[in-house]
This record gives sequence, structure tokens and C-alpha cells, in this order.
Amino acid sequence: MTARDAILSAIAATLGPRPAASAIDAEAQALLLDLDEVRPALPPGALPDAFAARATSAKVGATLERIGALTELPARVAAYLDSHGLPAALALQQEPPLLALDWSAFTLRDTALPNEAAALGLARHGIAETGSLVFHSGPDTAVLGHFLPLHHIAVLHARDVVAHLEDYAPPPATLPRNLNLITGASGTTDIEGSYVRGAHGPRHLHIVLVGG
Amino acid sequence: MNKLSPVFKDDVKRALGDATLKLAIDRTTVTAEAKRAAALADYPQFAAARRRGTAIKEHVVENLGHYLEQFERNAVASGAVVHWAADAEDACQIVIRLCRAAGATHATRSKSMLGEEIGLPHALEAAGIERVETDLAEHIIQLAGETPSHIIWPALHKTREQVSALFKQHHADPHQTEDVGAMVESARRQLRTRFLTAEVGISGANFLLADSGAVCTVTNEGNAELTTTPPRVHIVTAGIEKLVPSLPHAWTLLRLLVRSATGADLTQYTTFHTGPKRQGDRDGPQEFHIVLVDNGRTRMLRDGLREMLRCIRCGACMNHCVVFRQIGGHAYGATYPGPMGAVLTPALEGIEKARDLPHACTLNGRCQEVCPVSIPLPTLLRGWRDKGWREGLVPQTVRSSLWAWRFLAERPALYRMGTAIAVRAMRLFRRGGWIGRMPLAGSWTRYRDLPAPPGQTFMQQLGDRNAPK
Amino acid sequence: MPDHAPARPRVALFVTCLADTIRPRLGFAALQLLEAAGCGVEIPRAQTCCGQPAFNSGDTAGGAALARRVIAAFEGYEYIVTPSGSCAGMIRAHYVEALADDPAWLPRAKALAARTHELLSFLVDIRGWRPEGVALPATATYHDSCSGLRELGILQQPRALLREVEGLQMRPLTGNDVCCGFGGTFCIKYPAIADAIVGEKAAAIEATGADLVLGGDLGCLMNMAGALHRRGSRVRAFHAAEILAGMGGGPAIGEEA
Repeated sequence: MTARDAILSAIAATLGPRPAASAIDAEAQALLLDLDEVRPALPPGALPDAFAARATSAKVGATLERIGALTELPARVAAYLDSHGLPAALALQQEPPLLALDWSAFTLRDTALPNEAAALGLARHGIAETGSLVFHSGPDTAVLGHFLPLHHIAVLHARDVVAHLEDYAPPPATLPRNLNLITGASGTTDIEGSYVRGAHGPRHLHIVLVGG
Repeated sequence: MNKLSPVFKDDVKRALGDATLKLAIDRTTVTAEAKRAAALADYPQFAAARRRGTAIKEHVVENLGHYLEQFERNAVASGAVVHWAADAEDACQIVIRLCRAAGATHATRSKSMLGEEIGLPHALEAAGIERVETDLAEHIIQLAGETPSHIIWPALHKTREQVSALFKQHHADPHQTEDVGAMVESARRQLRTRFLTAEVGISGANFLLADSGAVCTVTNEGNAELTTTPPRVHIVTAGIEKLVPSLPHAWTLLRLLVRSATGADLTQYTTFHTGPKRQGDRDGPQEFHIVLVDNGRTRMLRDGLREMLRCIRCGACMNHCVVFRQIGGHAYGATYPGPMGAVLTPALEGIEKARDLPHACTLNGRCQEVCPVSIPLPTLLRGWRDKGWREGLVPQTVRSSLWAWRFLAERPALYRMGTAIAVRAMRLFRRGGWIGRMPLAGSWTRYRDLPAPPGQTFMQQLGDRNAPK
Repeated sequence: MPDHAPARPRVALFVTCLADTIRPRLGFAALQLLEAAGCGVEIPRAQTCCGQPAFNSGDTAGGAALARRVIAAFEGYEYIVTPSGSCAGMIRAHYVEALADDPAWLPRAKALAARTHELLSFLVDIRGWRPEGVALPATATYHDSCSGLRELGILQQPRALLREVEGLQMRPLTGNDVCCGFGGTFCIKYPAIADAIVGEKAAAIEATGADLVLGGDLGCLMNMAGALHRRGSRVRAFHAAEILAGMGGGPAIGEEA
């Protein structure tokens, strides 16, 4: 008997005959009703504002600036890097909207180096409830681009901000290889409870919110 | 690694005498308690979420076979390879086999208590595969040759001086100044190349999503993604109870888990891994293996411990436990400490080896109160005490005392006489109103005084008052 | 008084083994309070122990045996009242567990559980009673015993009663809901751990600067009082019922001559 058989038969021996799969699914779905009873309410106001407030709160600790249009991005990024004493060099995720911008003032890489100073990528969504950014792995987006650099710069369109975690729930068949929900910068309290940022992942998360 | 019962009292004694340990325990647990309380104050829906989360986990356990099969189906469809392991040894052998097939000289690991439970660190070392722990606390205790002392903060017992010394000894380019920030940077430098050159990355799973075959990992450091993306092979080791029906169900549980563990709304990095690298992906592992581990969980399901399978490994129970706060994690002598450890360890190792743990508890119930999925920990602990009693594991002195007490208590007239004599005898040892020392009361009087009884019991003083029954 | 409360209910007092032997005046305080609250109180002479030591040691059969005796001795009354959250909790929450496999006694256990109350919560919730004309000029702090708090929800009731004691100033105890380390047999089996736990409790009590520590469970009170005294503290311990019965001027726990 394989381990699989042993485990499943042991479970069946205890739990007895199974209800129909449709009945099990119905019960599972019922546990997703009335979500406002079980999740935090958002402050009143526009979603991008709620997202910005949460993301920059002490709990999340990202920095954030707002721009009117994506074309302003390269200038803002240059200013950000300069303010941290860094050269205008960047690992740029290969999303077409980003590639279309004017990066002539920059030295660009398409893949983050192990000790990359700064990397920039486009987030698919922001979640106002938690101040989180959503990234999908794919042909344009390397996962390591969010994790290797010391400074992670994330671009987010205001129109892509959703209210709650459940408002971002892609159908199971459409999940990417890696769905990364990023809420602030890397941190640890493992040494004497002292909070330090940049444990392995980025020390700084800077969000540029476009529009809204 | 797992040393139990006969040494429990020695371990406790050592822990109680360790003032540095106590400082560390307090720093961790008091902070965790305050952060959780603050998070709950900000989340008025917490009680309702807790009921919902409990219901979700109950539903999964009640339909465990269904969800395991659904998970396997969807994981395989996404390109993962699913393995099943009946016990710890099986699970380690599968992981070793996969490492060997990948030609791994070293494997990076992100934190997995299940990995500790099955003895994976030891198995990797025995197989000659270099194990590189990437979670900072796990890295620290690896350098120290120790085991975790808490499921969320495994290195809470190490001082910064101890960490500094370890890093100076083992890091290629250690910190130059004695501040914690510099030490963390040293670890960041030290582990960077290891992340990127490992042939295999091994992670645990916080949740397994049945409807997609996705594996969820949560960290605050980002080491799970650095562990699981660069290598050619990603291996997940997960207990079979980690299932949830879907991503939305995981959201409810994540809201409970993170607040209960650290007080944040969400961990910095919450990642769902679905299958291996896809055509066109810029990075990712070529192979994605998921090892589903039983190791006593089906037995727990069968033997009245089903509620324990709801556990989402938040650590709140131990943070609020008066016993854990005095003795710390290592004194429990097993993978899992605190109240959840006292329930799990007898299930994983047998009540004979773990006989002390269910008794080293006041049954005060705070653990159950803070458990985000409402596990009735005191009831389960008393259940282990019952099992221990029936298997004759209770010391003869205790059995005899309880027998004598019951003998008296079932015979009211004898009980009256016995208690009347006892209170007079006790008074022989009194000084003023207190007894400082008395035969048979050594356990009490070694540490505290005993109020001396007055000369007559209540029942004696009552006399003939009121209708006798 | 709640409308449904009978005019003069027949109450059986379960004194508890600790009160019977170590602190009889608590039994008399309970008697006095229940009578003041308009109850007709009887004290079944067959009572001994609620069975908790056996039950919590894993001797379920031993606990069940004593449970049957308690049920038989007490089930003829309208209410069973006891000055202990832990004994009340045993009867209310755990007798049904101890007798789960006994179809003859399980219904009787359920019936008894429904009629069993801890003293202070009974006075407030069932009798709607408050003390009158009781004075004690002193400062006090209150420890909430775990069983009473978590099994029976006793938190506001002792404070509501003590508020009526003239001159008594209550000071909040940091960690009032944190276990004192008594845990029944726990403090005997693991005395060193229990001592470490009660040491923190004693420090918290002393930090309030109060004259007195009060509570609703003798086990906890003996544990805390014994620790405080061994440490040279001047804080004195009473059961809240004793204060409410006007016995606050008498000997505290450990002061019986």
C-alpha cells in the first residue's frame, strides 16, 4: 500500500463516507458569505487615498509619492535615487508600459544583480485594506526583481487599487507561478527583538502611485 | 534532538535559573501580547473572524480526504509533483532522494516547523547535503548548533552578544560595529550567494490551497522567495492539515494568523506558489515538488485530537502561557513548545515519552482564549492526562495520594473524622497563623508559607445547625 | 431583584474542602450572605470534595465517582452555591465530561450543572443583591481566578459587590486575569515553576500599594498569601465574601490564632 493509500484510507476510516463534492463545495462557499462581518472596514474616502494612508503607516512603513501620469516616473525615480545618494542606475522589470518611458538618463539592466541597489516594477494591484502590492511572475516580471534590490520601487495605478483582500482573488486556473503580495519592506526582530529592515529582501519599499 | 520526560525537571530547573533567558522570554512574549492586543483593538470584527476561521478549519478537517485529493489534482495539473509521506522518515527520504537527483551539494531552507518536526536538518546533514538556513533566526541557531525555542522567534533565547560572536566566527565578511543593524547586514551578505547558487530550495507551507494546488508561504524577511525562486528544484514539506479550500478562505485565516503572531495585518511577504517555472517566465524553479506529510495527523484525527489539526502555528498560545513565560521553549524538549506543543508532542512522540508536558500546566485556559481557531487546549491536555493515567504513567505517589483522598471523600463520616484530625495535626507546625515547614507538605512549604487551619473544621463548627442530609 | 427569582429559594451550600479545613470562616460568610440575600440555606452533611483533584490528574473514573456523590447529595435543591469558581466550574462544566459515558448519571449531571453557581455571581446575577451597611476603610486589589473568569464569566460581579463596601478603595491589579500558578495539583507537582509564576503575581500585587488582596477562590488566595508572607510582604489576603460579610476586621488568611 502506498503512503497515499494509507493516508487516505486512514482518513476515510475515521470520517466515514464522504458527502457529494457539490455539497462540500456549497459548505465551503457558505463560509465566504457576509465578508464585512469578518474583515476590517475601510475609512471613508477614495480607495487610492486609503491605500496610501495604510502603506505609509508605521505598521507597513513604505514611502509613497503620487504622480499624475506615468511619463513623470523617470524623473521621480531619478530624484528618489539621488536623495539616497545612489546613481541613476536601475534594474527595470520588462513590462511594456515601463519600457516605453524615457529612461535615457539611466543605466538600465533587465535583470537584478545579487547586490542590486534599486529595482523597479509595475504592480498589478494595490489592496487598500492592508497597503499591499500585488505582483505576478511572468514573461515581463522576474520575482527576484522584488527581492534582491536594497531599494524596491513599485509603480501602481490608482485605478488598480481594490478595497479588500477578497476583491483580489483571481480564478484558480489563472494563478501565475508566483503571486507575491508585498506589504512593506523586509524586516526582522530576530536579534533581541530589535527591529531591523532589509533582512534579506529590500530595506526600502517606495511606491509611486499614478493618477487618482 | 528530542529529549523528553526524564530530563524535563532538569531542563525546567536550568531554565528557571537562567536570568538571561527570562529577560529574552519576557521581551518576546510581552511584546507579542501587546502587539496582538493592539491589533485586535483595531479590528472589531476579530471575534466574528475567529468564529469564521474556526468554521473553515473545522470544515477542512471534516472533509480532509476530499481536499487532499482536490489539492493533489490541481497541483499536478499546474505542473507540480506531489509526494505522500506516512511518517517523518519517509518524508526525509523523499527530500533526500530529490536533492540527490538534483545533484545538490547545498540546499537553502526557509523556516518550516514541519521540517524540524520530521528531523530534516539532521537527515540532510547525514546525507552529506549542506543545509543553509535562511531565516535569520534559524541561521543563528544553525550556527549555534541548537534547535528552535519558539515557533515564530526561534532564536529568542540568544543575546546580541552571542549572535555577534557567532557571526564573527562564521561569516566571511562580518559586521564591524556591535549594532544589530550591522549584524543583520552581515547575514544578508553571507547568505546572498548561497541563495543564488543552491541547486535545491526547501520551504514549508503555511497554507495549501485545494482549488488551485497553490502553496502559500508567509515571511517578514523575504527569504522564502529567495530560497524558492533561484534553485532548479523547489521542495515543499507540509503537514496534511495545512489545507484550505481556496484563496478567499486563506485570506480569512491570514487575517487571524498574522495578528495573533506579530500584531501586523499581513506579513511583509505573502506568496502563493503554483507549479514550476512556466514557458516565458523570467525566473522560477524548473521542478516543484510538494511532500504531503502525515506523521501522526491521521492518528490524531482518529484519536480525539481533531481540534488540534486546526492549528495555524501562530504562537499566541505560548506567548500568553504562564508556564512558557517561566521556562521558555527548550525546556519542553521537543519541536513544538508551549500549550500547542504540550498537546502535539504526546501525539507525535507518544504519551510515555512526553508524559510530563500535559501536566506542566495550570489549565488556566488563557491559551484557548487567544487561539485564533478556538482550539480547546485545556480539554485536550486533560485528555492526555486521562490517557497517561490509564496507561499507568502517573507516579505511584500521586496515585496513592489520590486513592487515599478518594477513599476518604467517598465516606463522609470518615472524611469528617480525618479532616478534624488533620487540622489539629497541622496546627502543631504553626508559628502564629502560618506553617513554614511540615512533613508531607514539602512541595508547598519549600517556596511559600501555608496558612494554618483553625482548630476545628467548618463542619465541626457547624454542629447541628440546619437540617442534616 | 430579577422578576423570576423565587421568594425564598432553597439553596444548598457546597463549602469546598479548602474552606472546610483551612478557612471555615469563609463557609460562615457564605452562609450569612446567602441568608441576607433571602435564601433558605442548607448544608448537606454528606458533602466532601467536588472531585477536581482526581479529574485534573487524569483519573476520570475517580472524578466521576465523587461527581456522583455530589450529584446525589445536592440535586434536591433549587440552587447549589459554592464560594469557589473552580469548584463551581468543575460542577458546571466538567461533570458532564466526567460522566459522558454514563447514561444514567449524565442527565443528572446536566441538571445539577444548570443549578450550580459560584457565590459572588449568584448574589449579583440571580439574587440581584448588594451588601448594605458594610464598611472597611482599606485599599484592596482583586485577583480574578482563572476558572471563575474563563469557565463562568465572573469578572464584574465581585467588583459590583465590593463597590458597596463603604471606605473600601479598589485598585486595579496589573495582570488581574493572569494565572497565579496555583493550578490545583500543578503547584505540588511543579513547585519551582509555580513559585516563579506566583513571584510575578506577588510583585504585581505589591506594586498596587494596596493593603489587601481579594479574590473568589481559596486555592489562589492561599497560594498568593503564602508567597507574599514568605517574601515578607505586609499585604493581607481575604476572600471577597468575608469582606462582604463584614469580617474584614478579623484575621486575614494566615492570621488565625
